[in-house]
Amino acid sequence: MTRLVEKRTVDMQIIGDWVEPHTRVLDLGCGRGALLGYLMQSKQVTAVGVDLDFHRISACVQRGVTAYQGDMLSFMHEFPDRFFDRVICSRTVQELDRPTDVILEALRVGRTVTVGFVNHGYWKNRVDALVRGRKVRNEVYTTEWFESRPANPLTIADFEHFCVTKRIRIARRAHLAGNWRSPRHILPNLLAGYALYDLTR
Amino acid sequence: MPDLDDASAAAGTVAAPGGVGLVAPRDFVHARPFTFQSGQSLPGFTIRYETYGQLNPARDNAILICHALSGDHHCAGRHSPDDRKPGWWDNLIGPGRAVDTNRFCVISSNCLGGCVGSTGPSSLDPATGRPYGISFPFVTIRDMVRAQKLLLDHLGVSALHAVIGGSMGGMQVLQWGIEYPGFVRRLLAMATTSREGAQAIAFNEVGRQAIMQDPAWNQGEYPKDGGPRTGLAIARMMAHITYVSDASMDRKFGRRKKAEANGDAYTFDIQFEVESYLRHQGQSFINRFDANSYLYITRALDQFDLAQAYGSLEAAFAPVQAETLVVGFTSDWLFPPEQNRTIALALLRCGKRATYAELETDLGHDSFLLESEDLYAIVRGFLEREATVEVDFNI
Repeated sequence: MTRLVEKRTVDMQIIGDWVEPHTRVLDLGCGRGALLGYLMQSKQVTAVGVDLDFHRISACVQRGVTAYQGDMLSFMHEFPDRFFDRVICSRTVQELDRPTDVILEALRVGRTVTVGFVNHGYWKNRVDALVRGRKVRNEVYTTEWFESRPANPLTIADFEHFCVTKRIRIARRAHLAGNWRSPRHILPNLLAGYALYDLTR
Repeated sequence: MPDLDDASAAAGTVAAPGGVGLVAPRDFVHARPFTFQSGQSLPGFTIRYETYGQLNPARDNAILICHALSGDHHCAGRHSPDDRKPGWWDNLIGPGRAVDTNRFCVISSNCLGGCVGSTGPSSLDPATGRPYGISFPFVTIRDMVRAQKLLLDHLGVSALHAVIGGSMGGMQVLQWGIEYPGFVRRLLAMATTSREGAQAIAFNEVGRQAIMQDPAWNQGEYPKDGGPRTGLAIARMMAHITYVSDASMDRKFGRRKKAEANGDAYTFDIQFEVESYLRHQGQSFINRFDANSYLYITRALDQFDLAQAYGSLEAAFAPVQAETLVVGFTSDWLFPPEQNRTIALALLRCGKRATYAELETDLGHDSFLLESEDLYAIVRGFLEREATVEVDFNI
């Protein structure tokens, strides 16, 4: 396995630890269904993913993951309060048009919302910006700015501030070091490469 | 018993990739009374059908194909080597194709009320010795499905691996999942709706009026090769427009003129190629379709509203056990993506396994007949995936 794939699986395993067995899970920006496929097998969840791209939905179908092609906000509007046990927004949050609306709507349709993101406050990202003076590019963000989707990079400090402002309760957090493996409790905004949160109302 | 498990096609024989080759239709005669949803009944009926591929020993590898309004049971292969065209879904069905006849036994039936071999208004009423005409019972999508079930029982099918259909065929797919939940494992509906909307009813009504206002319709009583040929041709011309799109028509015809138009713009004779094309569509339709069947089947479409029939869409889908895939097409303005999405969303709200995928095409409603590797891939993925979930980390 390449290091990148390794990082992706670490992320999945933490989310997998947080997910209760036999629950109903929604994945916003499900991609090709890798995370949901893993959760279906490891936790026997009832899963549905949302994504915008036909080919990713097609890959989900091949994998046996049910998925919906369309806009995630319009999708969530179609469901009653607390329909899902958990809504996952993993590595999607920095690409959302309306992050507040999505997270608040996710908190309406889900009992718990899991948000995972790359911490742009991580010291290497800071040094990168300072020294190179260029858009962050690394094994996670591999593309040049002109080949990337519009992104809204955020830091751990930004996200915690958001939760305070919107009165969202943080039920659980995991801050991982630059290797996305070992926990990093001290100065996470500077020293953590990846962050995962469980939010509730 | 029909030769669906013919010894000449013993298990293990795998046909080379390609079409299903030469095929022949068969007739299933149900010799017992059949009561329609309307309460009217027939002493019996005939359903014409075709099959491609063999049933497995468990008799559960069958896939039922449901056709659209003007389609029929002949969806793959050729009836004779001289046939100009194969069946209407030949690109999708065959050995090694998306609906793989090496794995599945494909069954395609002509719907009840139709005019291509199944009992319909042009059939002879045994009581009078004359065609039923408009004394034929009103047909619903559910009646079509119930008749298909009798056919499958006759063929000894123990369970359906899948039911597949586009447009009206998609309505039958949904009805199958509701009516016989334990019998069908996968539902694949494309370019369809759970509720015929006002615009679609409106188009159907224009078609019916074109037929019924033709004096030759004569309250549905006309000789076999006569009848409201003008009205039926106009109905077809109009309907055909609703199956395509602005972009696809413009690409195909633009403003090109017929050679014989002689540059004379001041005439009502055919000038544009699109006019000539539509007239050809109308003319070829009247040679294969019965006007009364057109009335009956469009009425069946109009009546289709699952939410109304069951109280709500969620109530309608409550019994469904199958996994569903709904495919919508961006340029379909007869059954637009929104109406397809609605189906998947309602199923998901019921806690069912349902997927919605949307293909970007500019071919309009008929996009479900598209030759598209993307469409083939999702159909194949849906049909061939094992029931267990495969895990890999290829994101």
